[in-house]
Amino acid sequence: MRFPFQNTTKESLVALAMLLPSLIFLTAFTYWPILRSLYFSFHDVMLGSDKIYFLGWENYERVLTDGLFWKSFRNTAFYTLITIPVAIVCALLLAVALDTKIKGVSLYRSAFFYPVMIPSVAAGMVWVFLYAPGYGPINGMMDALGLPKLEWLYSSDWALPAIMVMSIWKYSGYFMLILLAALQLVPRDLYEAAKLDGVSTWHQLIHITVPLISPTIYFVVIIGILHSYQIFDYVFVMTQGGPADATNVLTLYIYQNAFQYQDIGFASTVANMLLLFICILIGLIAATLGRRVHYLGR
Amino acid sequence: MKSTKTNISRRHFLQTSAGAITAAGMLGTTPLFASGTDVVKLQFMYPVGVSGDINRIVTGMINNFNSSHEKIQVEPIYAGSYDNTEQKVMTSLGVGEPPATWLPINSALQTFLGMDALADVTSLAKADDIYQDFLPGFLSICESEEKLYGLPFQCSTPVLYYNKDLFAKAGINKAPDNWTELLETAKALTIRNGSDVSQWGVTFGGGWHDWIFESFVRQNALVPWQKDKVMFDAPEAIDALEFWVKMVKEGVMPSASTWQGSANDFMAGRTAMLYHSTGSLTNLRKSSPFEVGVAFMPKNKTYGATIGGGPILMAKNQPDAHLNASWTFARWMTNTQNQTHWCKETGYIAARKSSWEGEDLKTFVNEVPAAKVALDQAAYAGAFLQVPGYHKVREYLKSALDRTLAGEIDPTSALKDATKQSNREIERLMRRRS
Repeated sequence: MRFPFQNTTKESLVALAMLLPSLIFLTAFTYWPILRSLYFSFHDVMLGSDKIYFLGWENYERVLTDGLFWKSFRNTAFYTLITIPVAIVCALLLAVALDTKIKGVSLYRSAFFYPVMIPSVAAGMVWVFLYAPGYGPINGMMDALGLPKLEWLYSSDWALPAIMVMSIWKYSGYFMLILLAALQLVPRDLYEAAKLDGVSTWHQLIHITVPLISPTIYFVVIIGILHSYQIFDYVFVMTQGGPADATNVLTLYIYQNAFQYQDIGFASTVANMLLLFICILIGLIAATLGRRVHYLGR
Repeated sequence: MKSTKTNISRRHFLQTSAGAITAAGMLGTTPLFASGTDVVKLQFMYPVGVSGDINRIVTGMINNFNSSHEKIQVEPIYAGSYDNTEQKVMTSLGVGEPPATWLPINSALQTFLGMDALADVTSLAKADDIYQDFLPGFLSICESEEKLYGLPFQCSTPVLYYNKDLFAKAGINKAPDNWTELLETAKALTIRNGSDVSQWGVTFGGGWHDWIFESFVRQNALVPWQKDKVMFDAPEAIDALEFWVKMVKEGVMPSASTWQGSANDFMAGRTAMLYHSTGSLTNLRKSSPFEVGVAFMPKNKTYGATIGGGPILMAKNQPDAHLNASWTFARWMTNTQNQTHWCKETGYIAARKSSWEGEDLKTFVNEVPAAKVALDQAAYAGAFLQVPGYHKVREYLKSALDRTLAGEIDPTSALKDATKQSNREIERLMRRRS
């Protein structure tokens, strides 16, 4: 009998050859940049100049005392904390509703998935129009309903929520599709048994559906957090971080420092902080939510 | 009133979208110094920094230039805001392919000098009438250590716009002339229904409120920067910010606004007074359904204003033929006739004495006396924040102002903080240069 780790050299070579294409890309575009940004974060590096000076921990000191960094950090966290749970709940309800044999179900599924297919820049432009204070349809609707008209993207209180609403619209369809795939695998007889026992639809959802698709929900949570910590396109298109930095997020702040202020060293430092936070957050989620995941048949 | 705003806004939206699409289309653009056999091809990157139909006016001027110059073809590239434009130029400098000419805000001069990107045009200017005919204040925004690096094209200062109809309704017959009057007038013009404000007394155009803030500090008789440091925490600056806080606390001024949004608010009658660039004058005047008044920014210890807008700069590393063509272009855009045209169309201040002495502009000023307010105020104006690392320093200042007006921090701590961070950034850049 042979153990898996007693591979022959030949087998290792085959494995390496199969890994090589993705490894080359990962090294060139992920691992190398991470190492380089770690190196840059301890140096004074300027865009468009070859000269590099060692700084030690100065960039990190600057980041930690930088009000705007913390503001972008808070905005990003707020965005994630609200957008992802709401989008997942919407997606779950949609997925359950569309996991039935109603007439034209594929049409509905396409309709709710459609926002995902719109390029984010185009979608951003459309929502800028929808939110426009003077002539935008959203304010028109608010007016018709007797609600106060809002300044939306021009107001420092409402700009971030406005972008969050749009993100929920865009993420929900994507999450829905993943959850729908998981729902197809839940054994139907469980629902039939529940129905015979007189369990309500709501309790079926909570006690059968959610536990059985929990690995997928867990996956969606992780993907959602990664997506939302990388939010850039909507903010860049819709508000450029304004008004008064109310919608500035970490990726945009990295971009501003690197390309507007040419301060690659500082931008790298912020990027490393972002990486650190994501690792901590994912670790926390794995330690809490991850433990509650229920794998069917194990 | 409502429908006017709707039209304005929709037009702006379409313009902005068209601009974004044009800019996106430019990404895969032609090589920069690609010249045919005879024709020299140049790129000119420019922003739209104010409210109005600027894009159409600039492309119109460039079309005229191209049709009157057989050997030179200038390609206009609308690049978004000032920040976007400067950033595009810096990125293209990074890869060694800058446009031949571009139009940044004057404050970016030191940044581009730090990148060794600018052609010194002092001798070309001396062989010309530049030093005799340009208004000295405006020429000085293109100078560093007595060398000239560009020609002032779109010169502006903030001015005080006011809605004459709303003034008449409130029984006020003159614009405020000092800070105390400003606060009183703003109080008299603010209309609120409970906690809802339907009409603000005054709005400072957000997004460039740091530029307006420097004007307030200058009205306290201090220029809050030198070429190697900023003094945002000087008593004069703290006093200015305390005045702003007072305006917000009295409920006569919104704590935040946006550049375009504040202009729209003024045109829609949602704010009775507005601090905005003189470059928005023609648009505000023509698009507002009421008579627009223009006045000096009220004084405190003195009148004071900050010069905004920008010079046309020329790239250093380009062949002689291209540099000469760039000079011809910059010279043409700033000639007497074009400065007159530009001034009338937009409200930017013509930078040439001869433009103001010409019949054309004289007649115009008779019809629209407001057009001359900014010129008169320019006597009290100076360059805006010409320090190394201007973009970042500006962010520190803006963030300090925003946080203070939002009530998160007191003026002194905010400005001390901004000064410390700004000076650290300036020091870093100075250290790099030496």
